[in-house]
Amino acid sequence: MRETTSGGEARAPRRNPIAAAALAWVFPGLGHWYLGKRRLAIAFAVIVTVTFLAGLSFEGRLYTVESGQPLTILATFAVYGAGVLNIAARFLADSPGGTILSPTYEYGCAYLLTGGLMNLLLVLDAWDIASGRKR
Amino acid sequence: MIAALIPVDHFLIMFLYALLASSFFALLWRETKRERWKLFATLMASLVLGGLAVAWLMYPFP
Repeated sequence: MRETTSGGEARAPRRNPIAAAALAWVFPGLGHWYLGKRRLAIAFAVIVTVTFLAGLSFEGRLYTVESGQPLTILATFAVYGAGVLNIAARFLADSPGGTILSPTYEYGCAYLLTGGLMNLLLVLDAWDIASGRKR
Repeated sequence: MIAALIPVDHFLIMFLYALLASSFFALLWRETKRERWKLFATLMASLVLGGLAVAWLMYPFP
């Protein structure tokens, strides 16, 4: 059911921001689906999933925190932003640490980090929509 | 998977990245169809042409 603003515009009903953000993290687009933005949710799911899977195919690295390498903290945070995609990939990928000798290794890392960061932006977007800051 | 479909070609990998990033931000940051297409075109052109320009500038260096 949709609410109507004073200007007569259709507006998505207010939802729980925590649930929206949590669902958005679990799988790309799920938060937007929960908020009633179905077409946008499918588009985001396709874009982020393709980005992440491309990263795996290019033999990029699923980062983990390493002592003495502080930048790996940020990289790990970024990759974990992809939610279930990242967790499943760690179990299913042949080499979660990537293949450093592969010519596409650096590209793979960039794609994996980008996929995770895109999903973190979707988490924030879902939170904003659910809390009424954004339509 | 996807890598099997794409040859190891710097330009194609960069082009795919630009396509995905431009689509994502156009959908995230704009509301109307017209505005989305405009931002998509701007980002796509900036990423692809910017990448080519940087590659050309770096060409003399080992």
